Amino acid sequence: MEEGRNSGEKETALGGRSLTATSQDGGGQISVVSLAQGKVEGGKVYSGDGVLGYLEMLEAQAHELGLKQEEKEQQEKKLNRLKAKVQELRTRRDELRAKVELQEKRLLDKEGVVTDPARPSAQTVLEWKVKSIKAMLQVFYLTGISGKLTKQGVCFCISTAYEGTYLDSYYVDLLIKPEVKIQRHSVPIFIPLEQIAKKYLQTDIRRFLSILSDHLNAYVGRRHQADQLEEHFSDRIEGTLQRNSLCNLLVFNYTVSSDNKTFPFNVRLLYGDLCCSLPTEAIISCTPGTLPLLARMAAAHSNTFRQMALHKAFDSVINAKESQH
Amino acid sequence: MDSSVYQVYEDEIQLLKEEIKLLSEKYEDIKQESTFFSDEEVLMSAKLFQREFLRERKGHTPPSDLTAELESLERDLSFLEKFTGIQITSHSKKTLEKTVNRTVRKHRLSGNCQSLPFCLEFQLLEVQNKENVSAAITDLSIIVESGLCSELSKFVSSTEERGNLLMFFRSFSSYAEWCKHRRCTFLHFKAKYPSIVILPEGQEGDHIILRNPQLPGFELMIVWKVHINEEGTTTPVLDLLPKVPEQVGEQKKAAIDNAPTCFRSMLLLFGIETAIENLIQVFSLEK
Repeated sequence: MEEGRNSGEKETALGGRSLTATSQDGGGQISVVSLAQGKVEGGKVYSGDGVLGYLEMLEAQAHELGLKQEEKEQQEKKLNRLKAKVQELRTRRDELRAKVELQEKRLLDKEGVVTDPARPSAQTVLEWKVKSIKAMLQVFYLTGISGKLTKQGVCFCISTAYEGTYLDSYYVDLLIKPEVKIQRHSVPIFIPLEQIAKKYLQTDIRRFLSILSDHLNAYVGRRHQADQLEEHFSDRIEGTLQRNSLCNLLVFNYTVSSDNKTFPFNVRLLYGDLCCSLPTEAIISCTPGTLPLLARMAAAHSNTFRQMALHKAFDSVINAKESQH
Repeated sequence: MDSSVYQVYEDEIQLLKEEIKLLSEKYEDIKQESTFFSDEEVLMSAKLFQREFLRERKGHTPPSDLTAELESLERDLSFLEKFTGIQITSHSKKTLEKTVNRTVRKHRLSGNCQSLPFCLEFQLLEVQNKENVSAAITDLSIIVESGLCSELSKFVSSTEERGNLLMFFRSFSSYAEWCKHRRCTFLHFKAKYPSIVILPEGQEGDHIILRNPQLPGFELMIVWKVHINEEGTTTPVLDLLPKVPEQVGEQKKAAIDNAPTCFRSMLLLFGIETAIENLIQVFSLEK
């Protein structure tokens, strides 16, 4: 009778062998010792219910080992898949790298237009032209006024920028017949769109867009300056910067030091011209407000705020050294 | 087997996919930027493409979107050019840097604004944020024909320094429109009063001279300059310069000295065309 439970042997065979062993016994008789003692296998005690118990245990073992084997196989398969994928992607990446390097080398050699030796298909030419025109339309975006023709009119896009940075863009969808009308727009409510439209839309669409663009660019410029001030100088501003939605009224506080004493200054910036991104008034008040030195500083600061962009003006103001006259 | 083993491979797969995407985009970019087909080639290809597609159509394939797309884009471009007065005669770009989040492209652009030519070069930096793409201009270089207009040169330098491409286009358009308006007005008066109005510097000049053949030596010069300040605001500035022969009496001289002020008031009250019209009429009738 084979007791054969060699741990070194393949587990898949185990179950089979055990069963064979029992059947070889003829009538399912197992070793008396194991029967009598019950079986402790893998921490589980099987009721010494004779053959059935033993069979159950072996079956369970076999099942478990089978599962483990399957799991191992799956893991190996997955690993192999991943390895293969990595290999495939690496090859593709290397191919592309070589292609791009060849392109760049050709460009350097010929210094200019590279034409495919094979005659390009009509589709290739057309696809090139489509991309080329889309690029030109993108340039129009950079000029400030771009748009698309629609079935009933035109949808204009007004882009805004402050110095070199492009900011939000706004659209105005116009109907042309029977008269020019705004069908849809994304202009914020505090911009006087209706007034501008009433004055210019019917007679001169270009002028309408130009003036609207002035308003929007100025608004976005003011907002951007305020944002920059908050972003870069929040530690030098006492409390928070207060502003209205049109960003034409800004109020904030900062401290000025002189002779080892600090004075709180309050700034009130009024942007009277809605098409301008510089303030028309810069009212600086400080407490106590009677020292002539402070009055001088306040006047100087007020000038700076009215002449330069807010974040630059503030930078200049807090870094200015008070000269002793 | 723990999952960290897989993670190493999966990370590499992700990196490789990103690299591949970047490389293919770069390849397409370079291909696009270094190819050129003339308008005739494009036209021929369009006809060929339509024919090929009509042949294959046989009732079940829809007509090509490509030619329709091209036509629609060309219509949009043509409309924008006519509407804004900005015509782009050549545009080339080159991708200088491309990573997952940043793209830097160098653009070369030339064209004209209401027939005033310009030539630009700039770098456009595009950064992919969470919600959108932000764009910024650096290294802006602008060439325009400023001629004797020192103000224009100052405006151009200030714009270059700040990288303010948008403002350049808006202000330059406005400047060009004023120049066009000036040209049209001058030509109009030249055509209406050919014997009196003279354009000494032609239609692009900034002044006209009124001469009455019955009053030799007596001239009125109307100067019309288009001012553009550093913030890009354009304003027309007109003035009147009378030239009087020496023999003219004191009384007349006083009246003539007053003329420029009167002209400026007329400009404010009636606008440019009416003021000039009135002036010419008065001038041509005077003995």
